[in-house]
Amino acid sequence: MDTVKGASGHTAVRSRALPGHSRLKNIIIAKLVGWFPPLGRTLAAGYQPAVGSAEIPWQPLGKPLSVCKVAVVTTAGIHHGFQPPFDMTDADGDPSFRQLNAATLWDDFTITHDYYDHSDAERDPNIVLPLDRLREFEQEGLIGCLATTHYGFMGHVTGRHLAELVEKSAVEVANLLKKDQVDLVLLSPA
Amino acid sequence: MGLIQRVIEELGITTVGVTIVRDYTEKVKPPRSVSLRWPFGHPFGEPFHPSQQRAVLQEMFRAVETIDRAGTIVDLPFRWKREKYPDR
Repeated sequence: MDTVKGASGHTAVRSRALPGHSRLKNIIIAKLVGWFPPLGRTLAAGYQPAVGSAEIPWQPLGKPLSVCKVAVVTTAGIHHGFQPPFDMTDADGDPSFRQLNAATLWDDFTITHDYYDHSDAERDPNIVLPLDRLREFEQEGLIGCLATTHYGFMGHVTGRHLAELVEKSAVEVANLLKKDQVDLVLLSPA
Repeated sequence: MGLIQRVIEELGITTVGVTIVRDYTEKVKPPRSVSLRWPFGHPFGEPFHPSQQRAVLQEMFRAVETIDRAGTIVDLPFRWKREKYPDR
């Protein structure tokens, strides 16, 4: 975290704002990786994710899939057009989330994410958020029902925003899913 | 993504994730994952390829029903653009 002493002696947190040319650089890198996917693995190898504690949470399903309510949480940066876009000017990412309405999302969706090439996902968002396929499984009786509300994050959250992501946003989303009586959550990345 | 998954599972909801960067997932340690060596931005495959998208989801459901040890990552055998997927 970058901190700076203010004139009054207090310590303020300085945003790690990306200059405009850095944002353009990220978009160009994402395009290059889109054209040449192995490059993505090379770049990803240089990025260190947060390490989860050895104790892994565990909740067995406890009932057949055919009666389960299913929701999706995606970090692909998808959201409704009327919602504020994720902040792409902060080098540590944006830890906030957007509620996605499955009934209307395809009418007005947009993707805000500079760190991957989402041109294919814009043509068919099912490749990051497979709502149409889940609806088919619901009709076929493989799952009980598809939730109305799903949740969108942007990936690439790091540094000083990680704590807010894990301790605030993720907890809020988990509580909303609980309140909605969701039994199974599928997570999809970018 | 795995960190969010862990929080949701901790609050008592079953979760399964799809990963295209297995190394990250090994470090983050979410409860259940299926892994694919596919390009970024394509966790469920290619646009307008419903049978491929369905195949990944079916493997996620299978993982939920069969994984019995927290932190398990199932490597899916699907090669990028070189598989035939059954029609519905």
